[in-house]
Amino acid sequence: MTDKKALKRESIMQVALQLFSNNGFHKTTIPDIAAKLGMSVGNLYNYFKSKDILAQEIIKYTSEILGEQIREVNMLDISAAEKIHKIVEIYFTTAKEKPEMIEYFLRVYLSNREVFSDGCQGMVCVSGFTTEIMIFFDDAVSSGELRNQDFFSAFGLFMGYLGGMVFLKGEGVLPQDIDYYIDDISRNIYNALKA
Amino acid sequence: MKRGGKPKLLWLQSITCNGNTHSFLNHPDLFSLLSHFELLYHPVLEAEYTLQDILEGHVDCDILVLEGAFREKGVAKGGVEISSVIEYYAKQAAHIITAGTCATFGGIFKQYDPEHITGFCFDIEEKTTRHKQYADKLISLPGCPIHPKWLGFVLMMIAQKRPIAKDTLHRPLELYAPTVHTGCARNEYFEWKVDTEGFGLKEGCLFYELGCQGPYTHGSCNKILWNDVSSKTVSGTPCFGCTEPDFPKTTLFETKTNMGIPAAMPLGIPRRAYLTVTGVVKSFKIKRFEERLIEYDR
Amino acid sequence: MIVKKLIEKIEGEAELNFSMHKGSVEDVRISFGFYRGIEEILVNKSPRDALVITPRVCGICNHAHLLAAVGALENGYENAGIAVILSNKARYIREFTLACELIQNHIKWFYMTILPQLERLTGEEGGENHALKASYLSTTITKALAIFAGQWPHSSYAVPGGVTCDPTYVDVMQATALIDETIRFFEQVIIGMEFERYLQIDSVTQLHEVQGDFGNTLHLLGTHGMAHTGQSHDRFIVFGEGLGMQSGKSIATTVSRVEVRYVKEWPQKGSTAKAVAYKDRIYETGPLARAMVNKAPIVKSLHKRYKDGLLTRIFARVHESTALLSHAKHLLQKLDLNEPSCTLESRLLADTFEGVGVVEAARGSLIHKTRVEAKKITNYEIIVPTQWNLSDGTEQDRGVAVEAMCGTRSIEEASFVFRSFDVCSVCTTQ
Repeated sequence: MTDKKALKRESIMQVALQLFSNNGFHKTTIPDIAAKLGMSVGNLYNYFKSKDILAQEIIKYTSEILGEQIREVNMLDISAAEKIHKIVEIYFTTAKEKPEMIEYFLRVYLSNREVFSDGCQGMVCVSGFTTEIMIFFDDAVSSGELRNQDFFSAFGLFMGYLGGMVFLKGEGVLPQDIDYYIDDISRNIYNALKA
Repeated sequence: MKRGGKPKLLWLQSITCNGNTHSFLNHPDLFSLLSHFELLYHPVLEAEYTLQDILEGHVDCDILVLEGAFREKGVAKGGVEISSVIEYYAKQAAHIITAGTCATFGGIFKQYDPEHITGFCFDIEEKTTRHKQYADKLISLPGCPIHPKWLGFVLMMIAQKRPIAKDTLHRPLELYAPTVHTGCARNEYFEWKVDTEGFGLKEGCLFYELGCQGPYTHGSCNKILWNDVSSKTVSGTPCFGCTEPDFPKTTLFETKTNMGIPAAMPLGIPRRAYLTVTGVVKSFKIKRFEERLIEYDR
Repeated sequence: MIVKKLIEKIEGEAELNFSMHKGSVEDVRISFGFYRGIEEILVNKSPRDALVITPRVCGICNHAHLLAAVGALENGYENAGIAVILSNKARYIREFTLACELIQNHIKWFYMTILPQLERLTGEEGGENHALKASYLSTTITKALAIFAGQWPHSSYAVPGGVTCDPTYVDVMQATALIDETIRFFEQVIIGMEFERYLQIDSVTQLHEVQGDFGNTLHLLGTHGMAHTGQSHDRFIVFGEGLGMQSGKSIATTVSRVEVRYVKEWPQKGSTAKAVAYKDRIYETGPLARAMVNKAPIVKSLHKRYKDGLLTRIFARVHESTALLSHAKHLLQKLDLNEPSCTLESRLLADTFEGVGVVEAARGSLIHKTRVEAKKITNYEIIVPTQWNLSDGTEQDRGVAVEAMCGTRSIEEASFVFRSFDVCSVCTTQ
């Protein structure tokens, strides 16, 4: 793929991400996306063969972006408590600055499983993100900072908590700006998982 | 070696269980193999000299096979420190084969007195003072016990004067470059990350729960089968890493995991690569791998 | 006069100090080499690590150590309130592999220890490569073992609740063929007669029918006046059950019951091996003991004539191989592969327990005792058969082998008597 084509692809995903997140997956059509991009429907199909495939590519794309940021945290020579703080910060900052990314995950990916059942089962399309979380856990247990336990009991606590907060933010029920909660939530997660 | 004569083979033991001796006796072509050598002494086979003759140093040898862990002082046979006997023959031999993990790295018996008991040229992975002196003629054949055909192969290569390609621990690459995982009958289950449901099943992989060290243990156990018919993993037993310098580790029937993630990765596989593949592969449910291969009561 | 002799090729070496008086042996002190500390190595390890560590006590009877170790764990589980019910399949497979190890051992001993030494002693050297026969038989029978156990030596395929293997009928048929091949080898080389006919022999008067290397050996022992040599206390003990045999003790051919709790060990001066006794008495253990306790007709018949001398002792060990072969074949026929191989979960099921495992190894009763606290071994004891046969004895009694050697007419003859016990140096000095 040429650079130009790759850039076009990315811009399609960004626009579609916004429309899916704001208007819902089913209410958004390919012509809507094409119109917003100022390109023909036929041309858009050159990039993505169907709306489902586009939706799947977007989830891979967003989890890669999040995964990339957590990877940088994993490379740092800091404590598990500090890493948790940084991961929470990344997650909430993304929710604030690019709300559509987290919204997409919660409102499109998790709510329209039939779209993702063929090709994005389980961890297939979110492995960019989950792999880094696994590496974070593995390091923190090896260093004796976190308690050894089943992966999902730890993963569920961590991600369920963050997802829940972003959901509340999206519903507009949080009295404070989401940044306000970073310190406490990081501490809560660390306390729950520490050795 | 005298011109035209057969190479003279001497097998000496120090701190051992005799497992390598008995394993080698199961070589299916033992005597045609031995016909290429002049057998000076062996712990159970009839040979040219008695142990007393060997202890007295009346003999010269070309190939020295060492079995058992090494200790400078305190292991005597017939009143003679065996370490001095070993060094006496090591100096004159053209090839030194450390047969088994004890002779190579120290092995199980090292754990009784870690400070004084070592392998001949290695103490676990560290070189001993003897390494420098004998490195150019050293062949490491770890394994607890040694595989008879691995030793057979090395002896035949020596008999035919062929050079043997070795790694940094002096292990023949042809035998130790693959992992025990190579050729394991359970490979499909490893590929698709399907865990076995317990001991006694031919289905499922032993790496995730039951402690199998096959993917990161050097050795060709599943390429050159044991007793010509099987191997630990084929028979449902996890690989315990018996060829490795740090054998034996502890809690051998459980996989050490950090939040469910194996603490040791398959040899040379970056953790990120392994976890990415695992996360993806585990997302698929393959019906064939959830069923028993054979049901006799159908 | 004291004469020192280094005895080699007995799974290591031993040093014998003979006290000679007027040309015959009056007393013997036996000492073994380096102590390897397996019991200490096990302390602080995970309980099931014993299944990997203890086979490394011995290169020739490693499989018996595995089965004693798993027996100790299973007994410990039961003492902790966990029911351990093995499937018949698991029991038969364990018995089968143990039988294979015993056969391997007995025939190696026969060809690599007894025959060469006997030929040397009697000056009737045939120049045959006995080791070739030993190696062929050992390779064949351990292949049958490895079909189930993965490998020999040093398998760890027995785990609490059963075995790790899940054989198919392809495996069972291959194992059956290997047993048949071993029987064929017996018929053509070792006994020189039809196997089924051999099994029917029940009295000394029929023994002339036995030909082959075994027949020759019996003949050599008889014609060189060694049949009565090497008698000992005539007391026998067996603790293990299985392989078609019962436990018990035999004193002057009267058999009674035994309990492991009356077994006591004590250290011996100047030796790395401990002595062992049952209710303070010394007993012989091994194939002859098993035959006496289980009243094997042909051994009883020999015993009636030659007591517990060389001929009976050597005969009992080779003879046991034939009974084991027959038993092994029967076990394969009974195997139902539809049963589970292992009936317990794969994790460690109890944190704190004590257990005892007993197995009949090639050289006799083998006992493992494990004590586990908070998932760690805090004490491990191994009592090996050779300790029974080779101790210095008690104040009242000489050790079994010492007693057998006393009165022999030369150091060579005494050494041969010593070897007739199938000495294992490495086991004795675990």
